[in-house]
Amino acid sequence: MSSDIKTSLERFSRKELARIAEMKKIKIPQNWSKSLMVELLALNVSIDDIPNAETEPLAHKTMSDGTPIIVLRDLAKEFEEVIAVENLNLEIMEGELFSLLGPNGAGKTTTINILNGIIKPTKGTVTISGFDVTKNIDDIKKIIGLCPQEAAVFKFLNARENIELFGNLHSVPKKELEDRTNVLLELMELTEASKRKAGGYSGGMLRKLNLIIALISDPKIAFLDEPTIGMDARARRKTWEFIGSLKKKKTIILTTHYIEEAEALSDRVGIIDYGKLIELGTPEELMKRHRTKNLEEVFLKITGRRITEGM
Amino acid sequence: MKYRALAALVKMELKKFIRQPANLFMNLLFPAVLTIVFLFTFADPEMGMGINSVVPGLIVYAVIFLIMTVAQSFSSERQEGLLRRLNTTPMTSSEFMGSRIITHMLISIVQVVVVITLAFLLGFKPNSGIEGILLALPVVAIFALSSVGLGLITATVSKTPEIATGLSFIFILPMMFFGTFIPLTTTTQQIASFIPSYYLVDALKMIFEGNWMNMNILLDLIVISTVSILIVLVGIVLFEKYGSK
Repeated sequence: MSSDIKTSLERFSRKELARIAEMKKIKIPQNWSKSLMVELLALNVSIDDIPNAETEPLAHKTMSDGTPIIVLRDLAKEFEEVIAVENLNLEIMEGELFSLLGPNGAGKTTTINILNGIIKPTKGTVTISGFDVTKNIDDIKKIIGLCPQEAAVFKFLNARENIELFGNLHSVPKKELEDRTNVLLELMELTEASKRKAGGYSGGMLRKLNLIIALISDPKIAFLDEPTIGMDARARRKTWEFIGSLKKKKTIILTTHYIEEAEALSDRVGIIDYGKLIELGTPEELMKRHRTKNLEEVFLKITGRRITEGM
Repeated sequence: MKYRALAALVKMELKKFIRQPANLFMNLLFPAVLTIVFLFTFADPEMGMGINSVVPGLIVYAVIFLIMTVAQSFSSERQEGLLRRLNTTPMTSSEFMGSRIITHMLISIVQVVVVITLAFLLGFKPNSGIEGILLALPVVAIFALSSVGLGLITATVSKTPEIATGLSFIFILPMMFFGTFIPLTTTTQQIASFIPSYYLVDALKMIFEGNWMNMNILLDLIVISTVSILIVLVGIVLFEKYGSK
């Protein structure tokens, strides 16, 4: 039994162990190593005292420093008989690049759609920058930008017209809109094609335009739902660099099937499956915790399948 | 309501109208061809159908086809995820719906101009002169509200633009047969009295005859305005509640 407790405790980082100790009112000197902490806790806690990833909130287990800008509490969404999101507890910090990983149908897009106010949760609360998504969605809309999974652009408009339309809907000052449009088109290598109708764009170009539209209002929080899907390797790399350049300037919530993208870019990663958050931490923490060399292996170990399965 | 957002949406809608060949065909070319064909084939003074009595029906014909355009437009934007995306911007519902209403009212005015211009070339001579035509424009524009409303209702119950195209004929066909220029019997006249386009044709006939200072036209205008506003409101409520996601 004691070895079971130790094994369970070893999954946690020092910070997390300190939190468990705090909860149990056990004093541990700050300079103690992780193995000593595990030894002491194993003597003083029962298996029931150890947070279980499947049943208990992970939100507080691993948290980057900073102020939470998005807070999900007991979030749940049911569609008729299907539970899309179940008891999701999470805090995302200001300036953080947070990746939500999961197989198809895991509940990632449903979560993003709740955060954007597109669908209402069945249970639980979500606050964004202090605003409740079910009560203050108009305030939230002013500070968010969404890059949806599908390339939602007007095909009869060219890239500039699409960007201008969404900029106007966000009341971006005219000069700023023009300058920002030029910069973003240049960064995403779309300047040359910017006066052609989007209907004639390749899938990759549409994706780039999709991303530019999400960022034209210079949102405080950007939701990027599979932003690079359908892009060729070069464009994908370029887009990763671009998203990486936004780190710390914005809070970014990214969902992706490219696990190396999440590993390279994210401050923290949350793995979601069957609507539940089953793992949370920095990529390094997750790899260490599961003794793997990369996130792909972590994912495989936890979910028992590859992230691309079922695509 | 932010006028900048409203103007941006109207501009986008007008570009959609101009740049999509199907829209141009259905809303401008089709009424133009119909005007030419119908005036050549049906306008027969001996049958009691002079050009002057056919033109109001042709105008209504053009405007009722906006039902299909509106239904297709909303259902395809929903299918492509554009409505969801627009809903995540600070754009308000009144800006969005207002832009659609303004655009389709403007299109209906263009339709009137096209039909009347062609009719003029084929011998249409309204007694009212230019004043009658100018008066007809806002009346038709108000009636266009009902087309927007019926288009919204169609889009609410249609999963795809293709289904929306088919279902829109549920509203288009009765208006075509009972409320344009096809002669009515006593029975069909009774059916027509429940169809808003019938009142528009009646009003336009009186307007083009220069006979607009009477109670009948006032009653027609009351029916057109009330029914059109009611239909568009019902359309907006239904679409926002059941059709926009």
